[in-house]
Amino acid sequence: MTGAGAQHEDWRGEAADWVVRLQAADLSEADLLAFDAWLAAAPENTAAYDAALALSHEFEVNAEALREELSRTRPARPTLGRFFPAAAAMAAAAAVAVVVVVPAMRPAARPAVYATATGEHRSLTLADGTRIDLNAGTRLSVVLRRDERDVRMDEGQAVFDVAADARRPFLIAVGDRTVRVVGTQFDVRRRAGRLSVTVTRGTVEVAPAGEAKGEAFRLHPGQRLEHQEGAVLAKVTPAAPDQALGWRAGKLVYRGEPLAQVVADLNAQFPTPIRIDDVKLAATPISGVIILDGQAAVVRRLALLVSAKAVPSDGGVTLQRIEAPGR
Amino acid sequence: MAVADRRANPIVTDGDADPLVRTYLEKRANLVRFFAARCGSPAAAEDLAQELYLKLAARPAGPEADNPTALIYRIALNLMLDRARGDARAAARDADWRAAHRTAVAGEEVAEDAPADEAVASRQRLRQLVVAVAGLPPQMKRAFTLHKLDGLSHAETAQVMGISVKSVEKHISAALKALTGRLAR
Repeated sequence: MTGAGAQHEDWRGEAADWVVRLQAADLSEADLLAFDAWLAAAPENTAAYDAALALSHEFEVNAEALREELSRTRPARPTLGRFFPAAAAMAAAAAVAVVVVVPAMRPAARPAVYATATGEHRSLTLADGTRIDLNAGTRLSVVLRRDERDVRMDEGQAVFDVAADARRPFLIAVGDRTVRVVGTQFDVRRRAGRLSVTVTRGTVEVAPAGEAKGEAFRLHPGQRLEHQEGAVLAKVTPAAPDQALGWRAGKLVYRGEPLAQVVADLNAQFPTPIRIDDVKLAATPISGVIILDGQAAVVRRLALLVSAKAVPSDGGVTLQRIEAPGR
Repeated sequence: MAVADRRANPIVTDGDADPLVRTYLEKRANLVRFFAARCGSPAAAEDLAQELYLKLAARPAGPEADNPTALIYRIALNLMLDRARGDARAAARDADWRAAHRTAVAGEEVAEDAPADEAVASRQRLRQLVVAVAGLPPQMKRAFTLHKLDGLSHAETAQVMGISVKSVEKHISAALKALTGRLAR
């Protein structure tokens, strides 16, 4: 072996020692200071450590698949007993205590949580290639498993462009409904207990989740399902793609939705809350395109549209109907 | 209103004043390396580094620590140990904790990276990993498999194998060294 080769051996050995040492239960502050000094001693140390750690993670992340593969290549019975009878006997004695521990100790899939603040948009690409565009005021979590892809949407609105993978369905839990897809593009929203799913490409199934009652629907491109959480019924209506996807280009498109929903959408985009006290006004159907340039301008145009005025009220704006008879 | 990715980065704003924070900034990458070894996910390691920063920044400006590096690593270790105590129950709660915490402190998004995809290794790569593990000497292979794949701690692995914890650490370390020699990319 050449001198350079031996050097590499050293770096690899020390890096592996550190990865394992840092995972030890009796890790001390002195260990950490030594670790810090070792990293600082040579850039090769840092590179070797990063490589060892990445490989260690790769094994952990793929633990389940690797266990399966190994058990297939392994003889049916563990070989330990043949080589180390004493160890096997001890292992058998210890096994009782350990068996209970194993399920809890497996590295559980860790959901990744994504959230957007008021007025914030965000695009992300998952490791499977799926793209998700988050509208403002949205929170969802993602777990990619070997046999299925799980998303839970707590609140908000997002467009999903799901990478096709027939063996790994993509499931979105949203309120009391589950959205199931294989590979397609669609918009899901949940604001104040109102759910909607709008499909722009492919096919999507929306079914009651868990104990919830109701029918399952299969949606095709150009269809929108609307549902009030807790209700049994869901309504399917035609929808143009820009109605669902317009928010990504900074505009909101409505065809007969109640003003209350428009206001809920705007409140996710702008910091100053808009309120409607008048029930009749809240139910006014809105059709049109709202360009999201600035809150003052948007509120002014919206007020014109519904013959209302915007009155400042404790930290927000309240929409009030303009009394018609007086004129 | 275009799609924007605004990331809060409180680290840059007020770093220079406090020697503790200044040292933290110098050591941040190494701290993330430590956290990542410990909690098994780069994203969680970033979260912990962020939490550590908040802890440091919130410390009242008192008499200067003789050795800020030691103090930072001590706090980092305690942070890690506090987290680990609840780990068995944490899996389900973890997302909520992180979300609530990060959203509260930074007022911004919660996860920075795409999530680790459990199926991310290709068939071919899985095959490589399996062959490499299968080729390890028996004790090394057993220790490595029990710890890395079955998720047992060093102590539990030692118990199952009937050897000391130190020996387990040596076996796992030797296994990891051999595997990085064959597999690191």
